[in-house]
Amino acid sequence: MKLKTTNSKQKSVPTWCPGCGTYSVSFALKQVLEDLKIAPKNTVICYDIGCSGNMTNVLDVCGIETLHGRSIPVACGIKAVQKDLFVIAQAGDGGLLNEGLNHFIHAIQRNDPITLIVNNNLVFGLTAGQQSSATPKDATARGTNERNPISPLSIVDLAAANGAKFIARVPEGDLKLMQSIISKAIKFDGFAVIEIIQPCKIWAKDFPKVSFKNLAKPVAKQINLIGKQNLTGLLYFEGKKNG
Amino acid sequence: MLAYPEYPSRIRGGDNNIQIVVSQKSDLTPLEKVDLLFAFSQDLKKIHQNEVKNNGLILEAEQTGINRIAEDLKNPIVKNSAAAGLIWQLCSQDPQILLAQIKKSLASKNVGANLAAAKAGFEIKIKSKKYSLNPVQNKKISGATGNEIFAKAALAANCEYASIYPMTPITSLLSDLAKTALKMITPEDEIFAALSAVGASYAGKRALTATSGGGFCLMSEAIGFAAMAEIPLVVILGQRTGPSSGIPTYSSQADLNQAIFSTHGEAQKIVLAPGDLEEICFLTQEAFNLADIYQLPVIILTDKYLSETTFSVLQSALDKIKVKIDRGKRYKGEKNYARYKLTKDGISPRAYPGQTAFLTNSYEHDEFGFSTDEADERVEMVAKRAKKLASLKSGFEILGNKKSTDVIVGWGSTKTALLEFIFENPRFKYIHIWRPWPFPKPLQKELSKARKVVVVENNTDGQMAKLIERQTAIGAKSVTKDDGRPFYKEELAQLLNSKF
Repeated sequence: MKLKTTNSKQKSVPTWCPGCGTYSVSFALKQVLEDLKIAPKNTVICYDIGCSGNMTNVLDVCGIETLHGRSIPVACGIKAVQKDLFVIAQAGDGGLLNEGLNHFIHAIQRNDPITLIVNNNLVFGLTAGQQSSATPKDATARGTNERNPISPLSIVDLAAANGAKFIARVPEGDLKLMQSIISKAIKFDGFAVIEIIQPCKIWAKDFPKVSFKNLAKPVAKQINLIGKQNLTGLLYFEGKKNG
Repeated sequence: MLAYPEYPSRIRGGDNNIQIVVSQKSDLTPLEKVDLLFAFSQDLKKIHQNEVKNNGLILEAEQTGINRIAEDLKNPIVKNSAAAGLIWQLCSQDPQILLAQIKKSLASKNVGANLAAAKAGFEIKIKSKKYSLNPVQNKKISGATGNEIFAKAALAANCEYASIYPMTPITSLLSDLAKTALKMITPEDEIFAALSAVGASYAGKRALTATSGGGFCLMSEAIGFAAMAEIPLVVILGQRTGPSSGIPTYSSQADLNQAIFSTHGEAQKIVLAPGDLEEICFLTQEAFNLADIYQLPVIILTDKYLSETTFSVLQSALDKIKVKIDRGKRYKGEKNYARYKLTKDGISPRAYPGQTAFLTNSYEHDEFGFSTDEADERVEMVAKRAKKLASLKSGFEILGNKKSTDVIVGWGSTKTALLEFIFENPRFKYIHIWRPWPFPKPLQKELSKARKVVVVENNTDGQMAKLIERQTAIGAKSVTKDDGRPFYKEELAQLLNSKF
């Protein structure tokens, strides 16, 4: 497995800002696929529209850049007819919680056997800082005149409440943990969701700290705590497979 | 034979009716005035009694004793079979044929009571003239709805995936396909239905979705995605009255514009419009080939009338329709494979995941699929996609008097009605457009020879007439109807004769 360096120079350079969590996510993905010895031709990654979706141009797999919020439907269709492929859907918080929440809930309901990786940067980044449904309450964002008046939706809680069997929340800074969780998720037979908390280094840098603490406490009781404090003060969880 | 059903948008009750036209001819049209009305209640009789010819016969369930037969058998639902028995008697038919059919059709239901009801209905003594219907001899005739043929044709084309959100008039297609080995996922909405079909198709299997106009609105982005990323997709669009919720269970041809101009940007697509069962059988299989060859979305237009009406067709004619599967240009293990390789005809060899690693992109892209915002690459790729359909031929059929300069134009489901009209009025030329888009170029030359062009369609705006004018600069008169019902035979003749 190699990072794409072919074609024009412009295309080999990722579009992410310095410090962006997507660097570590793309690196972790690359490492996991290499460790599991999965051939690039047998890996399909369906990308959302957004900064993280630009991994399309970086990872040397069967990459398919879909539409905003629509990576899950495309991934489900692929997996339905080609069971031997490793099918990953990538989503941003905007694509998952705003544009395509419908697909998230129903893929869980059907237990579609795909891996979902959510790059949660807490904000609409590519369109320059409007609040998404993951933006913390009281945060200052560019889509409202006041402080964000509404509380964020929790990806892991939505997953748990709807019966997902594999749920994980991983901080951007813990590469080892991220790799081990992605590896488990890919091998998991059923719908697996991994939320990566990677606050946008540009638009989320002034978000109130209190909200991160709230983010770290899923309310769903069926989420089985397997880890504790980590670098950014966030927790990660894995659901019981037969829960 | 033709059996045109009408039903309201509710689970039980209301005005459910079916008009059956019987003839020795093959192409038929529903009628404004029928010979015989059988009403299952006084209310329904009142609603429909004006739809009977002056010398016609009106029967009602209570008066004829049909209700009593059902009461005696303690099963109200067998009224249907009892009425069928009575009508069978009035049409001077052999009761054994009806009884055999009931045994076959209602095998899993209460067949004994239905047989008893049909026999009792056949024995009812009423004073009435008898009708004589002569069977067509020595020909195997099948009855099928448009949707039934869509399902069979999709399977014949080796379609392996479908995701369909239920919506009149394509719902029976969903139920029929669900009984087969076809892989299906229950979708949360039409967005999933269309995009999961795009996914399955990308993965190398032929895939289908079907919907009506309202659902197709939600599929618009999938149409653009399939066009931009060059992924085959077949969509069956069953038109019903709109806009918005319209009259959900009634027919229309008002989604021609939506099909042709769906989605933003300039997205290549093919729009087909079969007009009868044989054409559904052929064009559905052809649609999968076209989608694979040109790597783009193909929309097949049908409507409530064509999808849900039962038509009879010669079995031998259906059996003759064999379309060879053509999956288009394919990846052959070439090194440095580029999914969007620039070629002379604009069509690039297609790989499936599992064969090699390659990029597929909804963003503008270069030959390898990498996203680009470079002007020269954009221009190259737009030109590549635009020229893909240049080799497409034909798109219409000339029927009737080929020398006539009085030309009737139709598309889609008006075909059988117009065929019956020109059978009875042989002086006209009739052009049936079975591929509205890309607009068939030779039509310009053909129509320029006409003294008068009249376009017949079930919408208000004259969408095809305007499309013809836009594409050929030839003015056409319109005969339109958009009340949810198909053209009736008498009405169509009157409207057409008034235009010429």
